[in-house]
Amino acid sequence: MQLCVVRLLLLHVLGTVDQFLIFFTRSARDTGMANNRNCGISFRSEKMSRIQLFLQHDAAYACIAEFGEIGLIEFSDLNLSVNEFQRKYINEVRRCDEMERKLRYVEKEAQKCIPEEIRDMGEDPETPMPSEMFDLELQFERLDDELREANSNKETLSKNKLELMELLQILRETQGFFADAEIALNPAPQGSEEGHTDPGVDALSPKFGFITGVISRERLASFERMLWRACRGNVFLRQAAIDLPLVDPVSGEVVDKCVFVIFFQGEQLRTKVKKICEGYKATMYPCPDSQSERKDMAAGVLTRIEDIQTVLSQTEEHQRRILSGAARNIRVWFAKVRKIKAVYHVLNLCNIQKAIVAEGWCPSNDIDLVHGAARRGTERSGTDIPAIINTMETTKTPPTYHKTNKFTYAFQAIVDAYFGHGLIMFLFALWMILNEKRFNAEKGASEIWLTIYGGRYIILLMGLFSIYTGFLYNDAFSKSVNIFGSSWSLENTFTDMNVTANTILTTPTIQLNPIYTYTPNSPYPLGVDPVWNLSKNKISFMNSYKMKLSVILGVAQMMFGVFLSLANHSYFNNKINILAEFIPQVIFLTSIMGYLCVMIVIKWIKFDASVSAVAPSLLITLIDMFLLKAHPHDLYAGQWYVEKILLVVAVLCIPWMLLLKPLVIRAQHRRSRLVRGISLRSVPIPLRF
Amino acid sequence: MGGGMSGPSFNIDNGYLEGLIRGFKNGILTRNDYLNLVQCETLEDLKVHLQSTDYGSFLANEPGPLSVSVIDDKLRNKLVLEFQHIRNQSVEPLSTFLDYITYSYMIDNIVLLITGTLHQRSISELAAKCHPLGIFEQMEAIGAVSTPAELYNTIIVDTPLAPFFLDCIFVQDLDEMNIEIIRNTLYKNYLEEFHNFCQQIGGITADVMCEILAFEADRRAIIITINSFGTELTKDDRSKLYPCCGKLHPEGLSALARSDDYDQVRAVADYYAEYKVLFEGAGNNPGDKTLEDKLFEHEVKLNVFSFLQQFHFGVFYSFIKLKEQEIRNIIWISECVAQRHRTKIDNYIPIF
Repeated sequence: MQLCVVRLLLLHVLGTVDQFLIFFTRSARDTGMANNRNCGISFRSEKMSRIQLFLQHDAAYACIAEFGEIGLIEFSDLNLSVNEFQRKYINEVRRCDEMERKLRYVEKEAQKCIPEEIRDMGEDPETPMPSEMFDLELQFERLDDELREANSNKETLSKNKLELMELLQILRETQGFFADAEIALNPAPQGSEEGHTDPGVDALSPKFGFITGVISRERLASFERMLWRACRGNVFLRQAAIDLPLVDPVSGEVVDKCVFVIFFQGEQLRTKVKKICEGYKATMYPCPDSQSERKDMAAGVLTRIEDIQTVLSQTEEHQRRILSGAARNIRVWFAKVRKIKAVYHVLNLCNIQKAIVAEGWCPSNDIDLVHGAARRGTERSGTDIPAIINTMETTKTPPTYHKTNKFTYAFQAIVDAYFGHGLIMFLFALWMILNEKRFNAEKGASEIWLTIYGGRYIILLMGLFSIYTGFLYNDAFSKSVNIFGSSWSLENTFTDMNVTANTILTTPTIQLNPIYTYTPNSPYPLGVDPVWNLSKNKISFMNSYKMKLSVILGVAQMMFGVFLSLANHSYFNNKINILAEFIPQVIFLTSIMGYLCVMIVIKWIKFDASVSAVAPSLLITLIDMFLLKAHPHDLYAGQWYVEKILLVVAVLCIPWMLLLKPLVIRAQHRRSRLVRGISLRSVPIPLRF
Repeated sequence: MGGGMSGPSFNIDNGYLEGLIRGFKNGILTRNDYLNLVQCETLEDLKVHLQSTDYGSFLANEPGPLSVSVIDDKLRNKLVLEFQHIRNQSVEPLSTFLDYITYSYMIDNIVLLITGTLHQRSISELAAKCHPLGIFEQMEAIGAVSTPAELYNTIIVDTPLAPFFLDCIFVQDLDEMNIEIIRNTLYKNYLEEFHNFCQQIGGITADVMCEILAFEADRRAIIITINSFGTELTKDDRSKLYPCCGKLHPEGLSALARSDDYDQVRAVADYYAEYKVLFEGAGNNPGDKTLEDKLFEHEVKLNVFSFLQQFHFGVFYSFIKLKEQEIRNIIWISECVAQRHRTKIDNYIPIF
């Protein structure tokens, strides 16, 4: 029950907050108020102009780089008919791709070896000029070569090391197997420990051959079964798991492996076993017959492992040096290469003649900035012929562009991240906002985090409103708080209702009559009186209260939305939409939902505790209104007539909304076709000169 | 199961995957893409164009210069990734259905390995050439066997192909002729089993898949017959290799079993409207399409049709087959580009 209450409350709180949010969102998205640059939230797209740019060949690169920095132009493709790979600057794009590939390789290696040294200071390097591109290419080429060489050395060394380690494991683990085999074959006791060596093995070797090796643990079961099947049970396999973590030299992952010894008789079986070992990618190692040889070999292997380890750590040190130099700059390099690539991509969109002609959209208010960028670009390239920027008249549909700032950004890309309770949410959002700088610099975070982070201001607001509504409903973590002292007092009840203190102690529940127990002149100052939390009918009281509030807020918000559409219609001077959509919508909404809101307010004002017994249920009232029934108690005089009129009006609105507009459009279409049909026949085709 | 598989109840288990596969299908190259691809001068151009399609940056991490085999590998890897993603998400009976798709690749891999070892190639070299969808654990131990019986007892018995192999166990030794017999027997049994399975699933899946598999069966029967002319294969042995789940079964197959040359095969096909057209359109003169291409075209058509219906498994099969065809197309074009031999570059089979 408790849980249910909490959920309900949360829903209500969130519901209310959500209404505020939608209120804002709508206004940021599809509304039709005149553009106001000083307003924090813009209500419609910026006005866009179609511009045409004539750039000198020498200056084009620098100019476009500058345009990229201001980010205000959307370039259009003027070479739609030309294949991607047949465009003029595709070779440069390819060179950038190649550079990116090398950088990705370096980054991957750095990520593997020294992830902590990859730094991202949020730097934004200037677009490099084409001449700088050669230097970058050379630099990356060298880096790539060095790194690849170091890597291949390291790989070979680690592979050697791995093999030696495996061999060592074999020599150690097989000790036990051979000993067991000897005992099984030669049950006679062998005397002292030192004497227990060669004779047993010698007795075994002419009869039994064996193969030792290492196989990955997961393939072992299938390997064993295959051996058994292929050799018809004539081989004997012993295995032991290697506990040491072995690192695969290529992938760098830790792999679990097993040591195995296979005993068999005869050459035919040997070839068969060998082939199966190969098939299962088991590595086979030679293992000497006698124990002393194995011991010597193990000692030798151990020294070799140590040697290799020394060389390996030197190689790794070398590799780390190369990488740490690169890691510091890698983000900047990526940014540079991507900028170059972006410039060439834009150049590929341009029409290349004597001058380079580009077309695109830019916000009309920012054309000055575009001019400034063009001037900077021209200066940077050292030519003196300025770029020409024309604004074109066009009937094309402009792209939608909203200026956003940190605050409105989240509404633009709204995310509905509902979770937690107000305060937690608020603090969490506050923490994100306060650490904004740091988080902004951190690239490549997880998608979930970015979603939440992107919505930090929304979450902050949600938190704030939740706290506010929490106060109104006197509800913190679904417990109420008695700060100011309840305005309900039992003392009056004693005098007026013939109850004594004794009655209160003996009866489990008692109904308080607000007429006597409530002190009307000093209501609880903020929100709901905490005494409600003790009451049995708390939920039904709160629900009705919250529901009414939600209805009023919701209807107000819907109405607001409808009026925003009016602004949009009048912006486009769309009379038919106003007449056939907006007006009936408003009438429909007011006559049903608006009327409900009016009734809520009337009920709040008109009924107090003394007459609460005759207060009508609004829900039933509304249903009765549609069913054309009479109400047992009227809310006000003449209610029946008012409701019937409203109902008729609302019903009339439905065909008005749905039919009028399509009919008008059809009529217009017919008329225009008629006119065009006549004109085609009657107007003579003008002669060309 | 038939009734319950349709509509919303299909979506409970498979709706997401069907959506996914239809999404993948939308990434299949169109006629326009091919028109652009054949204009490429170098493989680098090809890469640039493929980057603008659903393949995206699948070649971005390959150091130049590109080779056709690298492109082939990467194309195949992408398909395998998509398939495996879907296989991992699927539940019965779709998972078994998807497994059936992989069996054909397993058969190809086994045959490839046996033929390779027969020619003294090393197993690791051969394993690299195997199709990744048909890889199974025991596969590479194939070098240790020398007779079909051994092959069955050590390797195939642990794989899902075991029931398909039972007919081959009596084949004497592994020479080239017998390998072909094994391949075709495996395939025959596989197709019939798959056909059977689809019929058990019932509903639209059965409608769509049986149509496609019937064509596959008939195609194999026709190709086997044509390829057997001039070899030692007896008519009796040949007729044992025909899959019996196609439209040619039974009259067409017995007529095929009796035929001695191409014209007789053609005469058999004349009795079947859809195959008659294929033979009529095919020819060996320059500019003509070969019968094989015609058959591929028909297969593509059937697979494209399977996307016209909803709530069935056929789309999964068709997607894989269409993607295979697309890979063949891209590789064909890349080979032509790489070898600067452009006269036949248009011999690809467009899908949409």
